[in-house]
Amino acid sequence: MEVIILYGPYLLISGCVFGFFMAWGIGANDVANAMGTSVGAKALTLSQAILVACIFEFAGAYLAGGEVTSTIRKGIIDPVLLADSPDLLVFGMMASLLAAGTWLLIASFNGWPVSTTHSIVGAIVGFAAVGISIDSVSWSKVGSIVSSWVVSPLVAGTLSFLIFRSVETLILNTNNPFDNAKKYVPGYMFLVGFVLSMVTLVKGLKHVGLSLNFQESLTYSLMIGVGIAFVGSLFLRRVKNIHQQKGDVVFDGVERVFAVLMVFTACAMAFAHGSNDVANAVGPLAAIVSVVQSGGEIASKSIMPWWILLLGGVGIVAGLATLGYKVIETVGRNITELTPSRGFAAELAAATTVVLASGIGLPISTTHTLVGAVLGVGLARGLSAIDLGVVGKIIVSWMVTLPVGAGLSILFFFSLKGIFS
Amino acid sequence: MRSSGITGIIKKSPFGPIQAHMKVSKESVDELINFLQFAIDLNWDEVVQSRKLISDLENQADTLKAETRGLLSKSIFLAVPREDILDLIKLADDIPNTVKDISGLMIGRQMEIPSQIAPSFLLFAKEAAAITDAAAEAVDYIDELFQFSFGGNAAIKMQQLIEKLDSLENKNDNSEITLRAELFAIEKDFPPINIVFLYDIINKIGELSDRAEQVGHRISLIASR
Repeated sequence: MEVIILYGPYLLISGCVFGFFMAWGIGANDVANAMGTSVGAKALTLSQAILVACIFEFAGAYLAGGEVTSTIRKGIIDPVLLADSPDLLVFGMMASLLAAGTWLLIASFNGWPVSTTHSIVGAIVGFAAVGISIDSVSWSKVGSIVSSWVVSPLVAGTLSFLIFRSVETLILNTNNPFDNAKKYVPGYMFLVGFVLSMVTLVKGLKHVGLSLNFQESLTYSLMIGVGIAFVGSLFLRRVKNIHQQKGDVVFDGVERVFAVLMVFTACAMAFAHGSNDVANAVGPLAAIVSVVQSGGEIASKSIMPWWILLLGGVGIVAGLATLGYKVIETVGRNITELTPSRGFAAELAAATTVVLASGIGLPISTTHTLVGAVLGVGLARGLSAIDLGVVGKIIVSWMVTLPVGAGLSILFFFSLKGIFS
Repeated sequence: MRSSGITGIIKKSPFGPIQAHMKVSKESVDELINFLQFAIDLNWDEVVQSRKLISDLENQADTLKAETRGLLSKSIFLAVPREDILDLIKLADDIPNTVKDISGLMIGRQMEIPSQIAPSFLLFAKEAAAITDAAAEAVDYIDELFQFSFGGNAAIKMQQLIEKLDSLENKNDNSEITLRAELFAIEKDFPPINIVFLYDIINKIGELSDRAEQVGHRISLIASR
């Protein structure tokens, strides 16, 4: 207790620095997967992708990042058990940020496809189970999080499979794909707008002073969906049915219609990513802040200060602006095989899955979800070749990430505890 | 940077190198026409030059064949059956090989084409080149077809390409009969061994057209999945 009062400001400031750094890392690295698909499909230029990512990552983080943040903050560990030793919670959360950050750095150097989400969850579970007690971990919640890691790629894969099959039936396999594309694509745009706004509104925007019931949310979401489809069809009018070459990719008229659609799904993807992944950075920070600000009370009921999500959003945008654009460029250059008609299906499926998870408060891996979605398109024979060996590597890397994240955070936890006591 | 799962799982289409391979085959059959023309003109310096070109093209084709196989490892999930692609590249690779065989045989035996049959001979070879062209066009079209998920107008266009291929092959069969008849008429005026090898060359050119046609049929089979 004295530690908190004595070192409170320092703990707070270093927590903010670590959290910001994590958010920066997410912006620099993870956003690339969400945006790279659009750049690779030539639906967006690099600078357009950065702009879209900045706006929608921030919006997603600030407007819809609350639920997952609160899961990370107080869902994995039962804060009540820590009422007598709030300093341990602060140390633990700091250790988790450090552990996840370190592990991600190591993985980055070695090129391993690890997930930020898995690192941070592994780290929190690790310090709590070993540093405090096995019982302090809310295992049922952890169980549901871990199973969501299996379920989310499956859901995204199934969705993308179905979406792509619908595109085949309605548009590609018809005698006049171009006209049918113009006819049906606004429908997909409607879906994008509707799903995103529905999940966001239903979960509530109380922290920005907007409180709606289910009925109102549904009405507004329908309106937003129709509005987006309308705006989209205005853009579609300008698309003419001609062949056009952009770099290596030959754009058929049909693909150019889908390229317009992909601008919308790219926004959705950025929004979804922001809403889920901001928590990895600011969730632990939120826990630290609530303890320090209440002078050592673990108040699980206290509302989270608005500036925490803001800090996370700004951190992500900072990461994007300093390093992220390069990574997006690299990812984009490497996935030119994913044309807009395929890419949108993957993005729409992944964004929907991630936003739903954000709404329920489940921290999932955006990248893995997108991988699942891409596989779905591949299984629908939308991609000429997909490497299942890499899928195996991804699975191994997330299996490894959990114990490593846990081990590192235990190490940092005991170090911090030693330093301050 | 952290390697992204996304860039890792999406692999290059194996059709890219196959299309490149088919382009090389086309070039090599076109060069064979030059080669035969030089042989008819008894221009042996040019014949040797041409043979070198054919040999280079055959090497290029081998590299592309290996590249295609490299894209087909067991862990790759493909939109079309792996066996079909392997068959396709195997069939396609026979074309530059056969061209190389023909040129090698003709150089080795310093073969001369009797002037009486030269026009028919050249026509027959040019038709084989036209068939290879048509097959290459069909192979190129697979991208388009894939983009439209093997359906709609793209599938109809592919069907038309294959029909064109078949009619070219029919014409070529007739030319072969004419050529053989012409050779038969004059064969007793030449050393028998030379004649036997001329028949062999005709067979091999016929093989070229057959392979090209098979490539076309294989690609349409892949397309109709």
